[in-house]
Amino acid sequence: MNLMANILLNVLIAFLIGSLLYGLQRKVMARIQTRPGPPIIQHLLHTLKFFIKESSFPYTAAMPFYIAIASMLCAIWVSAVIVGPVIEGSLLLFFGIYALQKIVEHNAGSSSGSPYGKLSCVRAVFSAAAEVPLFAVLVIIYLQTQTMVISDIINYQAVNGPLIFTIPLAALMFFVLILSKSPDSPFAITKGKDIVSGYETEHFGVLRGYLMISESIAWYMLLWVFLTVFIGPLGILGYLVGMVAISVLIAFINATTPLLNPNHSIMVQITFAFIGIVGSLVLMMVM
Amino acid sequence: MTTLKVSSYAIFLLSISGIIYALVFNPADWIVYAISIVLIPTFILSLGLILMARVKKEEEDERRNEPFIGY
Repeated sequence: MNLMANILLNVLIAFLIGSLLYGLQRKVMARIQTRPGPPIIQHLLHTLKFFIKESSFPYTAAMPFYIAIASMLCAIWVSAVIVGPVIEGSLLLFFGIYALQKIVEHNAGSSSGSPYGKLSCVRAVFSAAAEVPLFAVLVIIYLQTQTMVISDIINYQAVNGPLIFTIPLAALMFFVLILSKSPDSPFAITKGKDIVSGYETEHFGVLRGYLMISESIAWYMLLWVFLTVFIGPLGILGYLVGMVAISVLIAFINATTPLLNPNHSIMVQITFAFIGIVGSLVLMMVM
Repeated sequence: MTTLKVSSYAIFLLSISGIIYALVFNPADWIVYAISIVLIPTFILSLGLILMARVKKEEEDERRNEPFIGY
């Protein structure tokens, strides 16, 4: 297939499936909390709806940075789609993409001029301090497989079995990282309801829809990386079942746990990172 | 608002031309990656800026003079 067509198709699939999985999460959370909840397609409809709504840009926004940073978030996750499903490149690039995404969260909050955005901007730095150690999972994967390239990791698993069985604590670390990106997660301190919508508070209309597209792609990509790196070579059905299963599990966790305050959130994440790194190294030495 | 409209159309045309160029002429991989990373986001943004609803003429003054409640 033509490379550009391949990229466009993968970006479209990532957006549509990511949106539906977010919708599914809200539905499952609602059912657990004995509410009917919105239809699964609601998140996708919201995203599209924002594109035809009247938009306004706050006086306090730092233009054109305020718009550029939303574009940057989209560019980052389009890059992730290229590195992931399109070329099955290096996990190190994915780490770079994730680190950049934290910077975007920080700058989106500061560029709007809103106090909620600014609080979220500070919290983005806090959460980066906890989520970047969780990304040390890459070191464990490298030590186990001797490679950082996704296609080689897939081949390794085809021969030696899924990594989730050999380095389960590393899989747990990555799962906590995915959980942190879920909007209603106990670790979602940058978008906590106590600061309205965090860094997105002053992004209305088109810009909100634009951010939502990027977030849907991000959700799909995080699940894709988890399934590819820890479960191994999967078909389309395998990916779909895996993504639905993880989204439902995360919805269950979100529905039953409160939003942690920033200090607790970071301490819990760092604890998971510590247990994951030390535990994995011990397991690798013992086995 | 006129400036925004004009620049949105300009960016939209630029991004759609770049994407079609990559689709039709199949240039080197690095050029396709660069086009994808830069022009797909600008295409989505410009499309949004073109499609978004505009303030009605009679409501424009009301919006502009809305007292800023501050934070």
